[in-house]
Amino acid sequence: MLNLRRFRSIFLSLLLFMMFFVPQISMAETLDNNVPDASPAASVPILKSAISLPMAGARATNQLNSARWLVHKDAVEGTSKLRLVIDTSDPVIVSSTLDGNGPQLVLDIKGAVVGDVDDSITLDGQIAEKVRFIKKDGNNSQAVVDLPAMIDDGDYKVFTLKSDTANKKSFRVVVDINKPVPKVVYNFTPGLRNKVIVIDPGHGGSDPGAIGPNKVQEKTVTLAVAQKVKAMLENAGAKVLMTRQTDVDVYGPNASAVDELKARTIVANNNKADVFVSIHINAFSNPTVGGTATYYYQKSNYDALLANCIQDGLVATGGLQDRGTYSAGFYVIKRTTMPSILAELGFISNPAEEKLLSTYQFQQQMAQGIVQGLDKFFSQAAKRGGGL
Amino acid sequence: MMFRKRIFLFIMLLLMTVMLGGCDNTTQQPPVPLQNENPQQQAAPIEGGTVTPSSVGQDTMKMTVYYSTKDALNLVGEQYVVPKNTHPAQTAMELLVAGTKNPELISVVPAGTKLRNISVKEHIAYVDFSDQLVKNNKGGSASEILLVASIVNTLTEFHDIKKVQILVEGKKIDTISGHMDIGEPLSRSEKIIKK
Repeated sequence: MLNLRRFRSIFLSLLLFMMFFVPQISMAETLDNNVPDASPAASVPILKSAISLPMAGARATNQLNSARWLVHKDAVEGTSKLRLVIDTSDPVIVSSTLDGNGPQLVLDIKGAVVGDVDDSITLDGQIAEKVRFIKKDGNNSQAVVDLPAMIDDGDYKVFTLKSDTANKKSFRVVVDINKPVPKVVYNFTPGLRNKVIVIDPGHGGSDPGAIGPNKVQEKTVTLAVAQKVKAMLENAGAKVLMTRQTDVDVYGPNASAVDELKARTIVANNNKADVFVSIHINAFSNPTVGGTATYYYQKSNYDALLANCIQDGLVATGGLQDRGTYSAGFYVIKRTTMPSILAELGFISNPAEEKLLSTYQFQQQMAQGIVQGLDKFFSQAAKRGGGL
Repeated sequence: MMFRKRIFLFIMLLLMTVMLGGCDNTTQQPPVPLQNENPQQQAAPIEGGTVTPSSVGQDTMKMTVYYSTKDALNLVGEQYVVPKNTHPAQTAMELLVAGTKNPELISVVPAGTKLRNISVKEHIAYVDFSDQLVKNNKGGSASEILLVASIVNTLTEFHDIKKVQILVEGKKIDTISGHMDIGEPLSRSEKIIKK
């Protein structure tokens, strides 16, 4: 009885003790088996129709054991890619072709038979429909990936990975398929006349945007430049829609950040704009950083062209350091349906650029750069003849 | 009677050993999945290592934390060797929030930001910061891109983390400073890493 009581008190104190430690233990991440490995997916050797690894004597026991997939969404670029990983017991040789029956990616897997892997696995449905594993003969197999639409050679990668005992990974065949850019046909004509152009002065109202060391606010500069762009474009005969004409919140005061951004995209989407141009000023903690950069989100074959044209125009007229054009998953350029860009004219955190950006003359130069860029875009886009 | 007493004592000692192991990090061998499986990436030189004790033994683990280059164009992975523990992802985030001592690199997490919590569920890390992440953010696309990418890339160094959902004060947010769309879990971005 005494022992039982003692046992109970020991047990209870242990339980109490454990309560302190268990939350930490639950932090230890666990692995399940339904998702592919290797988040770092870029920069892997492209081995289309190529040999992967030396076959360690293709034994009949080599099997496709399991398959799993994940949609990888790039944190910066916002682009999606489907990764399919097939586990094999031993190394295999893989070759791939796009010319199946219909939109299909066909993998010939030499040296492994269809093993425990499911015959058919449903994929995300947008990038790929499903993958089927087919027996070829006593030594080889095939994986057929059904796609919603035909993709290009550059839209996928096939490679193999060695086994990794430290992380309990077997030999693997990896297939990466990029989310294809929709084939939208635009019929752009040269010139600015009659074009519907949406100009979005970044931030505004309750959201000042970035603030410079001498208290110049991003929202003030973006509006000033946008108004100048508007005047110049209208002179050239374009129809300009501004997401805001004054220092206001576009959606309304105290709107959530996303409502505010959505309101800007609605202006462009509901008015069937030809292009959307968002004007911003950059900032960074290191005050010596400066220069102009333009961002696009590749949702048509014209977004990068628009970014390049406007970046060239801004660098030509403004003369700041050319930081280049980049793909980025920014809300307003991602959620607008037409070719769109977000230009970061300069750095408000850089005292010299802050000063420049607040002058009438430099704002005029920046506006000129955007207008030149737009004009160049329409003439170059027209040369593509609405083609893809 | 004596026999039972001994058994109880033995069990108690055994339990204490296991638990103390969790305390002082000497006896426990937690899973530290730090090996990167992309061979090319593994071979890439990592710049800016600061903490490099002479011996990387069984009681320590290596981790890579990403900070910005001075020109705000890229991220560079800084390697740390820290005592082994059961929550390496939390340790990596604490290092990111604390910032780099390397004068060649720049910390991108806004001043005053605190890591509130981090949990991993079905390969998605939910990392929760205090609202200084938004309030003390200096604005600008460059800062926002580097901030988001440094969080995501530091966490996806861990084998079992495939995506990262950034939270502020326990809630999902759509954007930090009005540019990036971060309403859903994001995966690693390789391009921004300086090779």
